[in-house]
Amino acid sequence: MKNWRFIILYLMLVAGQVILCNYFGLSQYVLISWLPVLILMLPHRMGSIVSMIVAFACGFVVDFFSTGMLGITSLALVPVALSRRALIPLVFGDEQVTRDEELSIARFGIIKMALAILVSCGIFFLVYIWADSAGTVNFWRAATRYLLSVLVSTPICLYVAKLLRPE
Amino acid sequence: MARNGKFYSGLAVAAVFILLEIAAMSMLKSSSALQDIWINRASHNAMAWSWGKISKLQNYLSLQKENELLAGRNYELFKELQHYREMEREMQTMAKLDSIGFRSMFNYIPAEITAMGTNSRHNYIILDKGAEDGVRPNSAIITPNGVVGMIYSVDRHYSYGISLLNDRLSVSARIGKEGLVAPMSWDGHGTDHAILKDIPLHLTVAEGDTVRTSGLSTVYPADIPLGVTMGSRLVDGAVNVVDVKLFIDFASLRYVIIAENPDRETIEKMER
Repeated sequence: MKNWRFIILYLMLVAGQVILCNYFGLSQYVLISWLPVLILMLPHRMGSIVSMIVAFACGFVVDFFSTGMLGITSLALVPVALSRRALIPLVFGDEQVTRDEELSIARFGIIKMALAILVSCGIFFLVYIWADSAGTVNFWRAATRYLLSVLVSTPICLYVAKLLRPE
Repeated sequence: MARNGKFYSGLAVAAVFILLEIAAMSMLKSSSALQDIWINRASHNAMAWSWGKISKLQNYLSLQKENELLAGRNYELFKELQHYREMEREMQTMAKLDSIGFRSMFNYIPAEITAMGTNSRHNYIILDKGAEDGVRPNSAIITPNGVVGMIYSVDRHYSYGISLLNDRLSVSARIGKEGLVAPMSWDGHGTDHAILKDIPLHLTVAEGDTVRTSGLSTVYPADIPLGVTMGSRLVDGAVNVVDVKLFIDFASLRYVIIAENPDRETIEKMER
């Protein structure tokens, strides 16, 4: 039952990201995405290869149904899935890995979760903005866009994390 | 075993990551013209960089071959130069020389140094050419930059020589083209200095003059540059000694030329 709730909510959040991309463009300087937290919150027993394939599929779906460029979200999301296995023990400690516990704000506290999400968002937006700029945007403009996107998306991702695993 | 498993799983993760990123990039490339140009440019840069590195590596690996080729070329040019020097000298002494009938006085054999000592007062040198290659004792070991030593004994495939950095070896040298002739030997200090001995007191030697082999010995070909004079000093109140800075760098020496005078024995018999 718990798993079904997670899966349905997961799919709804992916659909929500598609809607956000299509209808709620805030500014050219701010990108909002909760996809990094969706990858971070994948079940812990899921290996790196499977989580990378899930990340690729999520990115593909979002790009396919939104007006974005096909492949750009997958390009940015796969490194988030790759870094997940290293990031979790680094932020939450090795115990979490040995006990095989799922990530949640209630279990690990808001600070550790915020830190993990910040790093994931940082990786995601770094690749996304770098590929989106394609060498045509000057450094400071791209850096401003990157910083604003990470700062705005991190609290939203925290809320999404609480929504996915409230216990 | 567990270590191997971890390694292979890491390899599989890396392979899947690269595959997925390539797939995402090719989708991005085909869906946007701007990104297409950007990816193409990046891939061209990466290719140019890797080609550059590979070609640098290839160049580095082929250095040995290149060195051997250059040593061979150096040897050929040296042989030619010596031939012209000898011809010039003969023409100066015999005005009616028929150059068609001219033959070189020395036979030259290129060789590579197998071992060489530079740390004692009696340094030696071993070359990779021996009796089967035509090397005979008392042949000169030279380079275009100076005298290296003299062959002392010969094996079938190797030859043993006395280095110039050996106080037993003395080379007949001339200061300038037609100047004073004096024996030159190692001063025993450092690998780039030698001394010209037995210079009479009434003769003055200018600094910076080129010292060459005199050609008066049957061992060394004439006019091989040896070094430059650096000043003279009085020894035992009887004779002057001139310091010579050698052209040859013994530290980086690898290829040499063995010069053998086929008429040496005949000339030495006549001297007796």
